[in-house]
Amino acid sequence: MSKGKIAIIGIGEVPTRNMPERTHWDIIYDTCMEAVRDSGLHKNDIEGVISVTPQAQPKIAAELSFGKLPEELGLKGCKDAVSVNAGGASTSNAIRLAEEWVTTGVAKAVIVQHVTIHSTIPLMDQINFFAKAGIDLQWEYPFGPTYNIIMGLMANRYMHESGCKPEEMASVVTALRSWATKDPNSFFYGKDVPSVEKVLASDMLNTPLHKRESNVLGDGGCAMIIVSARDAKKMKRPAAYKLGDSVRYFSGTCVMRDFSKVEEGFRVTAKEALAQAGITKEDVSLWNCYLAYPLAHPLIAEWLEVAPPGQGGKYFLEGRMSFGGNIPWSTIGDAPGRGHTGSGVSSACYVETARQLMGKAGERQVKNCKYVYQNAGGGSGFNNIATIWGKEIK
Amino acid sequence: MEFEMTKPVPETQPWSERFWEGTKQGKLLIQVCKDCKSKIFYPRKFCPECWSGNLDWIEASGKATVLTFSTAYSMVEPKFMDELPYTIAYVDLEEGIRMMTRIVDCKPEDISFDMNVEVLFHERNGYFLPYFRPAGKK
Repeated sequence: MSKGKIAIIGIGEVPTRNMPERTHWDIIYDTCMEAVRDSGLHKNDIEGVISVTPQAQPKIAAELSFGKLPEELGLKGCKDAVSVNAGGASTSNAIRLAEEWVTTGVAKAVIVQHVTIHSTIPLMDQINFFAKAGIDLQWEYPFGPTYNIIMGLMANRYMHESGCKPEEMASVVTALRSWATKDPNSFFYGKDVPSVEKVLASDMLNTPLHKRESNVLGDGGCAMIIVSARDAKKMKRPAAYKLGDSVRYFSGTCVMRDFSKVEEGFRVTAKEALAQAGITKEDVSLWNCYLAYPLAHPLIAEWLEVAPPGQGGKYFLEGRMSFGGNIPWSTIGDAPGRGHTGSGVSSACYVETARQLMGKAGERQVKNCKYVYQNAGGGSGFNNIATIWGKEIK
Repeated sequence: MEFEMTKPVPETQPWSERFWEGTKQGKLLIQVCKDCKSKIFYPRKFCPECWSGNLDWIEASGKATVLTFSTAYSMVEPKFMDELPYTIAYVDLEEGIRMMTRIVDCKPEDISFDMNVEVLFHERNGYFLPYFRPAGKK
């Protein structure tokens, strides 16, 4: 699997905003129709439909998993429809399933889509869902953790071991928001980029996490069209070819997650995916990292050997990963910049990877973008999936 | 809008009930495999190393060190708001087991990495949660 067999040849996306007047189906129509048009295909060419399961939205999740989308959009050539759920790793698995369908002849063209509307979920339901999802109900939940606290536990140890300073951590927000302000699909499009001082002046939620280092929930959606690499070449359109895929499982329970195993997993998956693609890390034009929280970015920069050991935070503070810096990094600003759409953040990251390789990223376009590293992780971080995408295939 | 304010108790499995019975008696029990000698946490129906069902329990010393911690000041569930600020930690027991817990009986600013802590048990609706405090503090 995953050695230049498929390509993304069409993308569609709506801005991430809190707009309760947009229904789930509003967004699905807009993203899927845009993606099909962008691919140059006809709607009836779509033979497979794969939905990334929306979290905490049981009604739309049930409609999608029970096969409503092809009927609603009139996809007359559709042979099968399914939903995939692995939390933040859902999109990676949806793309893998699309690859399976395309390479085994189940479907010639597959649409992968995601939609989330947080703004209409009752606050109590949101709290109940996010307080327990990915948190063990016997060995963790009774002590009162939150996702913010889980991230704080990892970040605090990292800062202790590496000497990373609070201002270096805060600069990650500045870097991610510097991309987001240039992204029309971001929650923070056109908004001021907060300075390090402003981030550090915001309330402390839990050590070392300040309010501006946490995420804002938003509504959003996107879609992509996947075909075989051979068909993509014949179509002579801008495309993003999947060249490598590697994964490691860590643990389902947060406290069981051995930090050294996670580090090793990030290192190994990057190396394996790069090797499959036949390139080295020096060839990577864009590190499109999906980590949900800013505090994890300096660690990952070190584990991917983009920054030297202990220098991840310093690199962000120096502006190297910011818009205009010399290391293009998370060009939609990851969840802190885009707005958090649950499992949809990784969908948006894959769409951005395709957009950059297709040369359609506008002001954020990375020059000579040939290869992109794109990762995703599921749940509260139970795994890491590393993928490599290229502008062309040999 | 009314929030669920009942504080949670552990959602147990039949094979973990012995652990929680132990806490009622002031004991921190660790499951062990009598075949491959593994120490197992959290408790399982079968040994995760060798899939043996020949499992037993030993009492831990209750001594541990703090691997990492995070002190919460806000944005926790409404049911935990009255306990703010509180500190969640991962602690490493002498027996090689890692647990999530609370660090109590000290100020948040007095908690440090690798500090020595010892177990105590906090009662909640009939369950006794293993919390930890600085070692030697009564």
